[in-house]
Amino acid sequence: MTTFQIGLPLPVLSADWSAPTESKTLTAATDRNIEPVGPHFLAHARRKRHKRTFSEDDR
Amino acid sequence: MSEEESPAQRVAIGISFGNSYSSIAYTSGEGKAEVIANEEGDRQIPSILSYVSGEEFQGTQAKAQLVRNAKNTVAYFRDFLGQDFKSIDPTPCHHSAHPIQHESTVAFKIKDKEDDTENTVTVSEITTRHLRKLKNSASDYLGKNVNAAVITVPTNFSDAQKDALSKAAKDAGIEVLQFINEPVAAVLAYDARPEAKLADKNIVVADLGGTRSDVAVIASRGGMYSILATAHDYDVGGAQLDEVLMDYFAKEFLKKWKNGGDPRVDDRASAKLKLESEAVKKALSIGSSANFSVESLSKGFDFTCSINRMRYETISSKVFATFVRLVLNVVEKAQLDPLDISEIILAGGTAHTPRIASSLASAFPESTTVLAPSTSATAINPSELAARGAAIQASLIQEFETEDIDQSTHPMVTVTPHLARAIGVLCISSDESTGVFRHLVEAETPVPVRRTAIIATPREGGDVLVKICEGTRVIKVTKPEPKANGKAADDSDDDEDSDESDEEEELREKTYKVENVLAEAALKGLSKGAKVELQINVAADLSCTFFAREVGGKVAVRGGWKAPGKA
Ligand SMILES: Nc1ncnc2c1ncn2[C@@H]1O[C@H](COP(=O)(O)OP(=O)(O)OP(=O)(O)O)[C@@H](O)[C@H]1O
Ligand SMILES: [Mg+2]
Repeated sequence: MTTFQIGLPLPVLSADWSAPTESKTLTAATDRNIEPVGPHFLAHARRKRHKRTFSEDDR
Repeated sequence: MSEEESPAQRVAIGISFGNSYSSIAYTSGEGKAEVIANEEGDRQIPSILSYVSGEEFQGTQAKAQLVRNAKNTVAYFRDFLGQDFKSIDPTPCHHSAHPIQHESTVAFKIKDKEDDTENTVTVSEITTRHLRKLKNSASDYLGKNVNAAVITVPTNFSDAQKDALSKAAKDAGIEVLQFINEPVAAVLAYDARPEAKLADKNIVVADLGGTRSDVAVIASRGGMYSILATAHDYDVGGAQLDEVLMDYFAKEFLKKWKNGGDPRVDDRASAKLKLESEAVKKALSIGSSANFSVESLSKGFDFTCSINRMRYETISSKVFATFVRLVLNVVEKAQLDPLDISEIILAGGTAHTPRIASSLASAFPESTTVLAPSTSATAINPSELAARGAAIQASLIQEFETEDIDQSTHPMVTVTPHLARAIGVLCISSDESTGVFRHLVEAETPVPVRRTAIIATPREGGDVLVKICEGTRVIKVTKPEPKANGKAADDSDDDEDSDESDEEEELREKTYKVENVLAEAALKGLSKGAKVELQINVAADLSCTFFAREVGGKVAVRGGWKAPGKA
C-alpha cells in the first residue's frame, strides 16, 4: 500500500497535556466476505493460513 | 471426462460466459491479459449454437441462423443452468429454440443430428458443447490443449448453478479452477494494469449486458475487494435498446411500404429486424449516424433507413434513465452517498453506449470517474473486462494445487471483520470539534490492516499531539445564499418558492465527524519543517499498535489499544 500524504499539520501539544489513562477500543466490526480474487487477496490468504503478520510476511 | 490436471500440466484461460456473448482470454508470459479472437475473428462470441443437417455452428454463424433456422438454434441459455423449469424466465428465447421441462432440468428440442430426428438436449449438454467450442478456439490460438479455466459468474449465481456449470465444463474437458464474480473480475482487470495505483476506494461496477443488468458496489481496500451491495435487473439491458430501434424501424418501414406488413409480427422478418437493429445500435456507439439496411425485410420489400445518434438517444431516453436509476439505487442500498463513489466501471456490451456513460457522469459528482470508452481515454473495452479479469486470476492460481485453491476460497479465510468506522488522526487542532479528521483507514476495510501516512507538522516544529480517532463520514450540505431580493429562507412551505430554490445547486461535501478518541501520544522536540510518519496496524481482533516518528529524526513514540472485551 502506498503511503498517504497528509498536508494539514498535527496539533500543537498543549502544556497541560497528560497521557490518557482510560483505555478505548474500536467499534464492533461487521463480518463480510472478501472476494477471493487478485494478488493481494492471495497474500492475505497466505498470512491467514500460516498465521503470519504483515511484518513477518514482509521478510 | 478429464481427470484434474496436475498444476504442471494445466493450461488455463479466463472465460466470460454470458447469456448473449462469451469471451475467452489468456495471460501472456509478460503478465498481460488478452482476449482471444476465434476462427471467425470474433472476440465477443455470441453464446449461440445452431444445427444445420447435423452440422454444429457457434457464435456469429449460429446467430445468423436465427433468421431461417430459429427452431434449431439455441440462444440465451446460461441462466437456465442448474435451475428447474419453473424458476426460469424463457422470454429471451422467444425467437429461438424454446426451453422445455425435462426431468428435473431444462432442455431444448432440436434437430441436432444428420438424421433429422428431434432430440431433447439438456441445457447442461448445450453448455458443454458451447464451452468445448470456446476451449477449441483457445487451444488453436495458443497451440496447446487448454484444460482449465477461471469462469466469471453473476454475483447472484447460486451454488446449484455453479455446480451445474462446473459439471458442464468438466464434460467439455475444462477443469474450473475457480468461479469469480463478474464485477470483481472487472475491477481486477483495471487493477492489474501496470500503471494502476493501489488506493482505498469505493467502486461501482455497472455491468450492462444483453438480457440483464447487474450492478455492484465494491469496497476496494489495498487491493482487496468486498461487495457491499448488488442489484440485478432482468427487464433492462441491450435487448430493450434493440426493441426501441426495432419499433422505430418497423414504423418507418410501414410508412414507406403501406402493404409491407409489420415486420415485428412475422417471425423471420422480426429476426432480421432484430439482427440489423442490434448492428445499428452498435454502430451508433461510435458514429453520429448509422444505416439500417435489410434486403427483403418483409413481404419481399427491401428497406434502408438512416438514423442519427440524437434521434436514437431521444427514443431510448427512458431505457437510459432506467440504467442510471438502477446504479443510484444500489449506491443507496450500500448506505453510501454518490460522493463516496470514486469510480464507476462500466462493463458489458451495452456500456459502450456513450449516452449511458454521460448520463451516469452527470448523475454523480465530478469527483466520480466514469470508466467507459466515451468518457475516459484509458478505459478498457467494457466487453472484455470480465474475460480479462478471469484470465488474470487464472494465471495467479494455475500453479496451485486444487486443494490449496479450495482452502483459500473457503469462508474460514474469506469471511473477515470489516471496520465499521474510519480510523484517522486529528490535524490542526486537538479539540475534537474543531480539529480536522484525516483518515488513514477507511470504513469497510477488512482487518488485519496496516496503513502509513506522512503528516505535516506546525511550521516551527516543537511538540505535537498524535490523536487517533474513529470517525464517521458525513455529507455536509451547504444551501446556497438566499438571493438578496428573495423571501426569507424559512418560507419553504410555499411551493413555488421551494421549487425555485431547488434549482440552485446546494453544495455537498464529504467530511468526517469524530466519534471516539482511541489513543493519544506526544511527539516532543520536532525540528523545524519536520514530517511525522504514522503507521497504524489493526489486528484481526481489532487491537491496534501504532508507531509515530519524525521522518529522518530520532523522536518516536508507540502506542495502541486492546481488542474489545479484553481488559
Ligand atoms: N458497441 C456496442 N454498443 C452498444 N451495445 C453493444 C455494443 N456491443 C455490444 N452491445 C450490446 O451489449 C449486449 C451484450 O452484452 P454482453 O456482451 O455484456 O453480454 P452478456 O453478458 O452475455 O449479456 P446477458 O447475460 O446480460 O444477456 C447486447 O445487447 C449487445 O447488443
Ligand atoms: Mg453479462
